[in-house]
Order: sequence, then C-alpha cells, then structure tokens
Amino acid sequence: MDTFETLRDIIANKFEKTADEITPDSTFESLEIDSLDTFDIIFEAEEKFGIKVPNEEVSIKTVQDVVVLIDRLRTEQGK
Amino acid sequence: MTIRRVAVTGIGILSPVGNDRETFFANLMAGKSGIKRMESDFVDALDAKIAAWIPDFDPLAHFVKNKAATMDRVTQFAVVASQQAVADAGLDLENEDRERIGVYLGTGMGGAASIEEGYVRLYRDNASRLKPFTVLMAMNNAAGAQVALELGLTGPDLTFCTACSSSSVAIGEATRQIRHGYTDVMLAGGAEALLTFGTIKAWEALRTLATEDAENPAASCKPFSADRSGLVLGEGAAMVVLEDMERAVARGAHIYAEIIGYGSSNDSAHITQPSVEGQARAMRRALADAGITPDQLDYINAHGTGTKLNDTTETTAIKEVCGSDIPVSSTKSMHGHLMGAAGAVEFVACMMALEKQALPPTAHLVQPDPECDLDYVPNVGRNNVSVKTVMSNSFAFGGTSGVLIARKP
Repeated sequence: MDTFETLRDIIANKFEKTADEITPDSTFESLEIDSLDTFDIIFEAEEKFGIKVPNEEVSIKTVQDVVVLIDRLRTEQGK
Repeated sequence: MTIRRVAVTGIGILSPVGNDRETFFANLMAGKSGIKRMESDFVDALDAKIAAWIPDFDPLAHFVKNKAATMDRVTQFAVVASQQAVADAGLDLENEDRERIGVYLGTGMGGAASIEEGYVRLYRDNASRLKPFTVLMAMNNAAGAQVALELGLTGPDLTFCTACSSSSVAIGEATRQIRHGYTDVMLAGGAEALLTFGTIKAWEALRTLATEDAENPAASCKPFSADRSGLVLGEGAAMVVLEDMERAVARGAHIYAEIIGYGSSNDSAHITQPSVEGQARAMRRALADAGITPDQLDYINAHGTGTKLNDTTETTAIKEVCGSDIPVSSTKSMHGHLMGAAGAVEFVACMMALEKQALPPTAHLVQPDPECDLDYVPNVGRNNVSVKTVMSNSFAFGGTSGVLIARKP
C-alpha cells in the first residue's frame, strides 16, 4: 500500500467513512474532521510509518498535504 | 430574594445492579449484589479480586466510533446517564432556553483509565508520544464538559471533586443554583470509572478494600456487620434533573421529590479517618437547611462503606443527631462504592424509596456488631412502608461531607 492508501485507511477507520469518500484532494474540512482530529490522524501516521512529525509541520488542509509531509519525513528520517 | 423550591423530575442511572432506575431499585429490594470476581487481565496481581462494574457496556451503542474514542469511560457513563435523565424528565431541549440549564457533576478520579493508558505507553512501552486526546479524556472536568457539549447546555458547568462525597455535593450545590434563581434546570450527579490496575492497587495500599468472601464473592461488602472487612470499588453514573418547582408543576412533570435540605462541611480532623463530630455537623446542617426535626425522617441512606471505622463512626453520629428509631441502610452492600458517583447513585435509591414506598436493605448483614446498633433494614427490603422524607449521607477522604434531604411532593 502506498502512503495515500495507508492514510486513507486510517481516516476511514477512525471516522467511519468509506474509502471512496476520501481522495487526495479531500480537505479535512469537507470530511468534517477538525484540527484536533487531524492531530489524532498524524499520531497514528507517526506510529504506522515510524516517523516523528515536528509541531511546526502540522499545518495541513488536504489529505494530499499529509501524504507529502509523510513522504518527505520518511525520506529525511530514513524510515 | 425569593427562594425557589427545587423538584427532582428526571433520573438517569448506570450501575452495577442495573442501567435504569426500575431495574436498579428492584435489584436493591431483592438484595441482589453487583459485586463479582473480576475478569481483567491484571486480576492475579490484586489482593482482593472483586469489584462492582457495569457489565456489557458498549460505547458504540451510544456514540459514533470517533466520538467514543475521544471519551474516557467515565465520560461515556456521564453522558449516557444524562441523556437518560433528560428523557425521563420529558425535557425537549430543542425548545428550552439552554442558557438556563447547567451541569454540576461529581467525580473522584475522573478519566483514570486514560491517564493510566498514557503512563503505560510512556513508562512501559517507551512511546515517544501520547494520544492527542489524552489530556481531554483524563482531565477531571471532561465528563461534565462532554455532557454540556452533547446536550448543548450553556448554563454553568462545574465539576466537584471531593472524593466519595463529590456527587452529593454536586446535587446540593445544583439545588442552590435553582433556589437562588441562577438557573431553572440543572443536570446534577456524578460518574466514576476507576477500575484500572493502577487505581485499584492504590486503593489496595490504603488497606480499606474488602477481603473477598470465599463462599460468595457477591457478599464481600458487609456494612454494619461485625465481620465487615472494607469497601468494594464500583463504577457507574447517576444524573438527576433538578427543576424549579413552579416550572415543573406548570408543565405537568412527574415529580419524584423536592430537595429540601443540603448540608456540607469539612471534618478538619484527619485526611482519611471519619469523625463523629464532622458527620454530625453535616447532618445538622442539612436538617437546619430543610427546617425539619430528625423525627420527621423516615429513612437514611447511610454512607455505610463497610469499613470498620466508618460504620461505627456513622452509627454514633446518626444516633447523636437523629436518635435510634429511623431505619438506616447501606446499599453499597450491593452496588459497591462508586466513589464520585456514590452520592448520586444513593440519592437515586432514596428517590425510588419515595416513589415505591419501600426501603432497600443492607445486604450481607449477618453478624450483629454491638457498636452498630441501629435498624439497618438487614438483608430484607421493606415494602408498603410510609416514606415521606429521606436523608442521604456522603462522607469522604479529605473530610468533605455532603448530606441531602428530600421529601415526597
């Protein structure tokens, strides 16, 4: 599974959504996921990908923003 | 200022002996105990492997998955009991002025499971981060806050944290909010969910927990009996709807009782040991507030923890203030000690005593103690009795007492 698919599954499972409701372009606002809930998603992503997301990095609007962030940090942190 | 009268118009309860008021009281009357041998994975490490819990509580029957995951068990209990109380009161919140409705909730240990889960991750599993919701689930005011959020209530929302008297104090203080006109309706009561490994071990260290009854674990808590060995921890929640009496009458609400007296005081004697003087002081304050004499009481729901010291102390205090003629019972013998929720659960037992004209027993009282010589309604509940005025006692570690008096409307 690629980064998007893994992230999509985390979101779908946590918020009881179907996979096709979530696209890379989906905004968290459109998914009715608030900023506090996005911290929860990032928390799970950290565990799943073995990365550490610094506080200053968590300004995100869309699912793709998180995918890009995760991929960058995986490269930087060698995970 | 006009002092308004306060009616109890709704009851919500989740208890080890029933998750609605009728089942709860029927089980108490039948002497049925909710105390059982624990099934948790940490049970082998406990001295006494008994507790009183809510069996088969399914958060997903009440909340969507994501919501359930962001609420500690104590909060889930509080919200479910509150919803039940509002429904029982027949309140249509959509058409209420929600600024005039507040939430006063008592809890002892708050989100105990959430804080413990965080520590386990941190100290045992060496995690570098904790769940983002840890603070919001563990904080002591989370339960009250989520009740206000879920029901859209914007009146005052306060959390009372006075250990075992928390929810009696919450109900008493909520009564005053309505009496003095700050609000018209209050959701008041308490919730507790402390049956975690760390919390139970901490209680174990205090040497106040009951030894398991080898033949019958359900009979391990034996208030006022000479062979009592301590309290049994329990979990659950009870919330009541309190309402300005005139308003309740005008809308034709069912009125369980009028709260006529509330007394609170601190023993200022010892952090754990109960004091006759302190307990008597709180009862006198409640009686003075109610403007009645003790002979007008028909029933006292005792704090009755089942510890050696509480039960003799409380007996002496009751005798000093109320004499020896009033029936007294400890329903903790069946639902266990719900700590922050205890006062509210026992207040519900009092409401149902008024409703059913019946007195719940003190279960497992088989060996009379010469130092405990009141009428404790031993082992068998009494039906068809006249119950007009009741008193509920709650005392606590830290010394804060909360005593409530209510009467049939």
